[in-house]
Amino acid sequence: MDRSPIFEAVGVQKAFPGVLALKGVNISLLPGSIHALLGENGAGKSTLIKIITGVHQPTAGQLRLDGQAATFGSPRDAIARGIGVVHQERNLFPRFSVAENIHLERLAMSYLRPVDYAALNRAARPWLEALDLDIDPATPVSELSVARMQLVEIAKALSLQSRVLLLDEPTASLTSSETDRLFTILRRLRDDGTSLVFVSHKLEEVQEICDRVTVLRDGANACESRSMEGVDRKQLVQMMIGRSEGAGAWRHRDRRDQPEVLDLAGVDTALGHRDVSLTVRKGEIVGLYGLVGAGRTELAKAIMGQFAVTGGEVRVNGAPVKIRSVAEAIHRHRMGYISEDRKSEGLILQHSVLANAGVPIWRRLAQAMGSLTDGRVRKVASPFLTKLEVKTPSLAQSVGNLSGGNQQKISVAKWLAANVGFLIVDEPSVGIDIKTKAYLHDLLRELADNGTAILLISSEMPEMIALADRIMVMDEYRIRGEVTNSGVYAEISHRIMDRIHDAPQPAA
Amino acid sequence: MSVAPVPSALPESSSDGFARLSRTRFLLSNEFGLILLIAAFALLFAVYTSGFLSVFNLFSLGRNAAVNIMIGLAMMTVIVTGGLNLAVGAIGVCAAMGCGWLLQILGLPWPVAILGGLALGAGLGAVNGWMVVRTGLHSFIITLATMSIFFGVMIFLTRAEAFRDFPEAMTAFGKMRLLTYLSPLLLLTFAVALALAWLYRFTVTGREMLAAGANPAAAELSGIRVGRAIILCHMLSGLLAGIAAMMLVTRNGAAIPSMAGQLGQDWLLPAFLGPVLGGTLLQGGKVSVLGTVLGAFLVTMLSSGLLMLQVGAFWVQTFLGLMLLVAVLLDKARRSWLARRNLA
Amino acid sequence: MTNLARLSRTDWFGPLLATILAVLLIQSLSANFLSAYNIQILLLAIAVNALVAYSQMIIIAIGQMNLSVGAIGGLAAISFAGAMEVWGLPAPLALTFALLIGLGCGALNGVLIRITGISAFVITLATLSIFKGINLGITEAQPFYGIPEGVKRFGGAVLVGPVPWLLVPTLLVTAILWFTLRRLPVGRFILAVGSNDHAAGLSGISVGRTVIIAHAISGLLAAIAGVLVVARLQIGQPSIGDDWLILSFAAPVIGGAILAGGHVSTTATFLGVVIVAIITQALVLFSIDPFLVQVVLGVLILAAVGLNKLRAGAATGGR
Repeated sequence: MDRSPIFEAVGVQKAFPGVLALKGVNISLLPGSIHALLGENGAGKSTLIKIITGVHQPTAGQLRLDGQAATFGSPRDAIARGIGVVHQERNLFPRFSVAENIHLERLAMSYLRPVDYAALNRAARPWLEALDLDIDPATPVSELSVARMQLVEIAKALSLQSRVLLLDEPTASLTSSETDRLFTILRRLRDDGTSLVFVSHKLEEVQEICDRVTVLRDGANACESRSMEGVDRKQLVQMMIGRSEGAGAWRHRDRRDQPEVLDLAGVDTALGHRDVSLTVRKGEIVGLYGLVGAGRTELAKAIMGQFAVTGGEVRVNGAPVKIRSVAEAIHRHRMGYISEDRKSEGLILQHSVLANAGVPIWRRLAQAMGSLTDGRVRKVASPFLTKLEVKTPSLAQSVGNLSGGNQQKISVAKWLAANVGFLIVDEPSVGIDIKTKAYLHDLLRELADNGTAILLISSEMPEMIALADRIMVMDEYRIRGEVTNSGVYAEISHRIMDRIHDAPQPAA
Repeated sequence: MSVAPVPSALPESSSDGFARLSRTRFLLSNEFGLILLIAAFALLFAVYTSGFLSVFNLFSLGRNAAVNIMIGLAMMTVIVTGGLNLAVGAIGVCAAMGCGWLLQILGLPWPVAILGGLALGAGLGAVNGWMVVRTGLHSFIITLATMSIFFGVMIFLTRAEAFRDFPEAMTAFGKMRLLTYLSPLLLLTFAVALALAWLYRFTVTGREMLAAGANPAAAELSGIRVGRAIILCHMLSGLLAGIAAMMLVTRNGAAIPSMAGQLGQDWLLPAFLGPVLGGTLLQGGKVSVLGTVLGAFLVTMLSSGLLMLQVGAFWVQTFLGLMLLVAVLLDKARRSWLARRNLA
Repeated sequence: MTNLARLSRTDWFGPLLATILAVLLIQSLSANFLSAYNIQILLLAIAVNALVAYSQMIIIAIGQMNLSVGAIGGLAAISFAGAMEVWGLPAPLALTFALLIGLGCGALNGVLIRITGISAFVITLATLSIFKGINLGITEAQPFYGIPEGVKRFGGAVLVGPVPWLLVPTLLVTAILWFTLRRLPVGRFILAVGSNDHAAGLSGISVGRTVIIAHAISGLLAAIAGVLVVARLQIGQPSIGDDWLILSFAAPVIGGAILAGGHVSTTATFLGVVIVAIITQALVLFSIDPFLVQVVLGVLILAAVGLNKLRAGAATGGR
C-alpha cells in the first residue's frame, strides 16, 4: 500500500512507578481505514490510547503526525492536532442542547459574546445529517438514547476536523441494530478518508468492520499494523493471549449428584429481572454469560441482598430464604461476591492489605465489647495472602499502591479467609496480567474441587469455556438458556450466541 | 472448603526494616509537625508575654482546650464517614438546654439531667445520620437544614431564656483545679480521646466506620452494614457535642441558648480547625485522633497567646483563618513531597 | 396534558405554583396580607435575600459551595459605610470600593481553591474566618453611623406604589444573571464546568479561569447585597451577613438547583426567595413565634432537596 500514514507511534514506551506498561510499541494509522486495536485487559491498550490522545506522555519513543514528530502535552493538544476520541464514558453535558454540545468549542473563543442559538443549530445540522442523525439540534442531550449520545460525540469530534478518530468500545452498550447503523456510518467516514481506530473485545465485530489490526500483548506488539486480510479469528486470539484458546485447562466434571447450594426459582428483582431460574451445586462452577448490560452483575447484587427480590424463591442450601442485606448474605449464609469493579466496589484502596483482607471476618473474630486486634486478623488472613502469593512490602501497605493482579488476589483472599460456601466471581480477569489470570483460573478450579459453589460472571468467552461446568446465558435481564460446557470453543460459543440471538429483538 | 493455609512467610510489619520506616514516617507526619509547632509557639509566647506561663493562664488554657478538642472530636467522628456535621453547635446547645430543663423544670438530680442531655445530643445526631442514610443526600445539606431546625425548636421551646440554677456539684467541677493548674475537664477530654483511639484501632465497630467512610460500596459488599455505621458515627458526633456543651455549662454555671452563637455557628470554626489541622482533609476513611487533639490544642494556645500579645480580640479570628489556610497548604505540600518519594 | 407535563419539568413551575398557592391561602386567612405595607416589607426582604441566594447559586452551579458569602457581604457593607464615614468618600465612590472588595474577596476564594486543589468547603471556611475577623478588627464590633442622607433616602424610597427602590438593583441583577447563564458563553462555561469539568476542559474551556470567575461573581453579588442592607438599615452593622448561610442555600435548592453542580435556575431561585419571604411574613402576620422561621427554613431545605432527588431519580429502582 502506498498511502502514507497520518499518525504513527514508533517505539513508544511508558513506565509507571514499578511497571513498564508499554515496552516499545508501534502503530501506524492510514487514512481511509478502520484500524482494530486489540489486546486483553492489561495488555497496554488503554495506556496506548491515553498516549495517542495526549493524556499521558511517552517515556521514550516518538509520535508522528504526517511524518513529523509531534508531542501532545495535553488532551487538548491532541484534539487541536486532529486526534478525536469517543470514550466509553460519555463526555457530554446532559442539560445542554445537541448543537451546543457539538459546538461548545467554538464558544470558548470569547466569554461575553452572546450565544446565537439559531446559528449554532444551523451549524450543527450538517454534522448530524452526515451521521444520519434525525434529531433537532435544540434537543437537550439528556433526552437522547445512549446510541444517539455516542453519535453526537462522534459528530462533535468530526466538527473539530478530526482526521484520526478513536472509538473505545463503541458498541459496548448498543443493541445489534444500533451497532449495524453505527457500522454503516463508520464505513462512510472511512470512505471519506478518516482514519478510525476501533477498540473492542468483540472479535466478530472487529472482523466485520476493520481492515487493519494491531494487537498488543504484555505491553508489546503481538502484531503491528497489518492488514486484516487472511487473518482469522483463531489467529487474532492466538496473538492476544499468546496461545490458542480453548480447552487446554478445562476438564469434565459432573456435579449433578451434589446438593444444591443456591437455587433461584422464577426470581424477579426490583432491578427488572424476570423469571430467573438457576442452580449452583456444591463444587460446581456455573457460568453466567451475557453481553454488557444483560443484567448479570445486577443479578449478582440482588442475590447478595443489595437489591430486593420481588418474586419467586431463593433457596440457600435447600432452605427458602429472604436476604435483606449483604451483611446477612455474608454472615448468615456464608456467601461472597468478588466485584468486577475492584477499585470502587471491591477494595478500599486507601486502607491496608490486612484491613481489606479481613473485612468479612471482623465480626467473627471480635472479642468482648467488639474489640479486635490486628494480630487476630493477621493470624487468619495472612496464610491466604501468602498462599495466593500477594506481593506487598508489608501488610500495612495501602492496597491502592499495588498492581491490579495483586489487588485481585487480595479480593479473592478475603473470601477464602471468610470460608464462604458460595462465591460469585464477577469478571475476575479485568485488568490483571496473563500469568495471574492463569493462576486465578487454577485457583477457582481448586476451590470448586474442594466444594465451594461458584457462580462465574464473565464476558470473555474463552474464560467461560475454560472454567464453567454449565453456562447460563442471560440477555435483557432474563435467562435465555443453558449450555453444558464441552470445552470445545467453536461449538460452545456458537451455541451461546444462538441463545442470545434467538431472543426476540426489541423494536429499536 | 479448605484451600490449605500455608504458614505465613509474608514480610511482617514487626520486622526491623518496617519499624525504621515507620519511625521516619512519624517524623514526616502531620502529628509530629503539630508537636513542633506547639513547642515553638509555646516558647515564643513564654518569652514574649509575661503571663503565658502563669498558673491562671495554664489553667484556663487547659480548660478552653478541653472544650475545643471535644468539639473537634465531635466533627472528626463524622468526617470519618466522608461527611460533615454543621449541626454540632446546634446539637451541643440543645443538649445543654435539655440538661438545664431536666434539672430546673423537672427537678431531676444532676447526674440524671446530664445523662438526659447527652442522650438528647446522641439522639439528635442519630436523626442526622438516619436522614443522611435514608435520603442518600450529602450530610452537608442535611445538617445545614437540621442545624436550623434543632436550633429553632430549642429557642422556641425555651423562649430563648437561659437556665442558671445549676447545683454546686456541677459548677465546682468546672472550677476545680488539680495540682493547682490542671482542669479535670482536660483529663475528661483526654479520656474521651483515648477511648476514641481505642474505638478506631481496636474494635470492629470503629473499623467498620472507617471502612464505610472510605468506600461505602465496597464496605457494603464486604458485609458491613454501612447505614448503621454511618448513623452510629453521627450519634457519636452528637454525643461528643453534648459532652462539650456540658463542659461549657459546668464552666459557665449556666446553660445559655447563645453559648454557641446564632444557630451554633460559632462552634464551626473550632470544630473544623482541629481535624483539618490534624491532617484529615475531609475525605473520609482515615482518622487521626492524636492529630485532632494536637490541632485543637494548637488553635486554643494560639488564640490565648495572641490575646496576650495584645493583638486585639477581634483580630484573633483572622489569624485562625489564616492559620487554617497555611496549615492546609503545608499539609498539601507535605503530601505531594511524600508522594514523590513514594513514602505515603 | 403534554403541555402540563412539559411545564412540570421546568424548574420554576413548582415554586411558582407553591408561591401562588401560598399567597392565596394566606390571603384567605388574613386579608391584611396583600396590604401595601405588607407587600413593601415583602419586597424589601426579597431585594436583599435574592442577591444572597444568587451569590450562593453561582457557586452551586460550578458544583462547589461558598461558606464565606455572609462574611464577604459583611465586609463589603462595613467598607461601604466606613469609606463614607471615616474617609468621607462620596457614595458612588464608596459603592465602587465596596463592590471591588467583594469582587476581590470572591476572586481570592477562587484562586485559592484553584491553585491548592483543596475543597471549596475548607477554603471558604478559612476565608470566612479571615474576612469576618478583618471586619471585626476594623470595626471592633461597633457600627458605622455616618451614612449620608442620599443613601438613607434611597434605602427608604419607593418607586411606585409599594415597590421600593431597593428592588431595582436586584431586578437588574436578576435579568443580567439570567441572560448570563442562558446566553453568554461565560455562563454556559460555568454550567459546563459544574456538570463535568473534565469534559469541559476537553472542549477548550479553561476550567481554572471559569472557577475563579464564578467565585468573583459570587463575591460581587454578596457585596451588592451587603450594600443594600446598609442602605436599608441606615447604619453599617458589622453583623451584616451573619445569618445568610442557611438562606443562601435554601432558595437555590428550593429552586431546583442540584448541589453536585451544572444545573441552577435564576428564575426558580428568585421564586425560592419569594416563597421564603412569604412564609416568614406569614409567621409574623399570624404572630407565630419568629424563632420558628429557622425551623421552617430548615424544613423547606429538606423538603426541597428531597423533591429534587425524587425528580432526578424517578426512574431508578432499588430499595
